[in-house]
Amino acid sequence: MSHLITYKNITISLSGKSILNIDQLDVAAHQCTLLTGRNGSGKTTLLKIISGLLKPNTANIHYQGLDMSWKQAKPYIQKDIIYLHQQPYLFDASVSDNIAYGLHRLGESKAVARQKVMHALQWADLSHLAHRSAKELSGGEKQRVALTRARILSPQLLLLDEPTASMDTDAKQQTGLLLQRLKSEGVSIIISSHETHTVKHIADHHLHIKDGQLETIEPSTDSDKVSVLKPSKKQSVT
Amino acid sequence: MNDLGQASANAFELLLSGNNDIWEIISLSFGVSFSAILIATPVALIIAFFLAFFQFPLRRTLISLFNTFMSVPAVIIGLTLYLLLSRSGPLGDLRLLFTSKAMVIGQIMLSFPLLVAMAHATFQAADRRAWETAITLGATPWRAFPTLMYEVRFGLIAAIVAGFGRVIAEIGCSMMVGGNILHSTRNIPTAIALETSKGEFAQGIALGMVLLVLSLSLNAGVSVFQGKGELRT
Ligand SMILES: Nc1ncnc2c1ncn2[C@@H]1O[C@H](COP(=O)(O)OP(=O)(O)OP(=O)(O)O)[C@@H](O)[C@H]1O
Ligand SMILES: [Mg+2]
Repeated sequence: MSHLITYKNITISLSGKSILNIDQLDVAAHQCTLLTGRNGSGKTTLLKIISGLLKPNTANIHYQGLDMSWKQAKPYIQKDIIYLHQQPYLFDASVSDNIAYGLHRLGESKAVARQKVMHALQWADLSHLAHRSAKELSGGEKQRVALTRARILSPQLLLLDEPTASMDTDAKQQTGLLLQRLKSEGVSIIISSHETHTVKHIADHHLHIKDGQLETIEPSTDSDKVSVLKPSKKQSVT
Repeated sequence: MNDLGQASANAFELLLSGNNDIWEIISLSFGVSFSAILIATPVALIIAFFLAFFQFPLRRTLISLFNTFMSVPAVIIGLTLYLLLSRSGPLGDLRLLFTSKAMVIGQIMLSFPLLVAMAHATFQAADRRAWETAITLGATPWRAFPTLMYEVRFGLIAAIVAGFGRVIAEIGCSMMVGGNILHSTRNIPTAIALETSKGEFAQGIALGMVLLVLSLSLNAGVSVFQGKGELRT
């Protein structure tokens, strides 16, 4: 298994409290990793550090053959890694304009950008929403727009913070479908989730945060651990 | 007595006849206040943003300082500026006293804390996800900042309108550092004070009406924009 990026010695304290103390995190290339942990265990914190949004106390990064500090790596990881909030934030603009947001940076011409947005909308079956105001969309629709907006930038790694929380079965299924497509396109994905059932079928690995540290949960024992973690209602999407 | 009625009628006549003096005073007022707000706003917005989004030493102190300066009376700012700009003052060589430039400076000082405080409150209430989303989608901070400003534009417009409302109507500072010189530094508030003290009620009332309509609509504007800001989530 090849690694896309490796984080070593991640530590962070917030308000004087140590939140994470992780020796090593290898992100598998082109695969999907499930990240679990209790409420407040540090999932969001870890994803934000990985994506370069939150400064850790310490962290070393091995990426593209280089060993760097978090600060040195920040421009690279911000370019190649996209973080999606639990409830994605869409700008006060149309769906198309939201999806086009990151393209400005790439210096695409208007015509090329419009083409790309059109294709991206088709890819996500969102063409019918193109001109709707993004603020008016449902939670599930917002999630899919956010995924499309990320995908159009061809990221190496996509971080999803509880993507299916507070979604109905239909919306989960549609989001799951897009994630599956992204994975088959070679995008590496980390999904933090309580609802392990929803994403288990696309996850290749399972990491669990406990007491600020990462545990790898082997696939063989996966089902036991998962059922311990997630005793609530069963909803499977296949 | 019919003085007041007569004076009001004359006031309308003055305004409608395009009386040169009166329109000169109105345009000077607007010119000075627009310039002041135009200069103060960009710096105030950037400071407000830093105060809201970053942690650094003295941050809390700065915030309360701006909140405190908001309530410094205009005449005190005028007095301070007068002392600085007067012949023997430290900035006397600039020869700015009793010019419209001095009035602009005074109004910048007057509006700045208000602009910072209101814009800070707006940024503070802004959704952090907006900034993070822009950054994670590859925006540089220089591009993420306008994006964020657009997301909270109603609150920021309310701040700017409130700042303008404060300076267009203030008299203390303009009187002290402008000197109410006809054709040069006479603006609406100082003209009203002068004309009324001379017993020239028509001009005073005419300018008063302009200022009143303006202030009322600015205030209405602030509430409209603040309301719009709150509706959006
Ligand atoms: N800005 C902050 N200041 C202080 N403590 C914080 C801050 N942000 C998060 N924390 C704390 O860090 C811990 C981890 O938070 P985090 O949001 O990463 O957890 P999580 O695993 O994502 O939880 P959830 O499942 O509820 O989303 C929590 O105890 C939280 O209270
Ligand atoms: Mg979280």
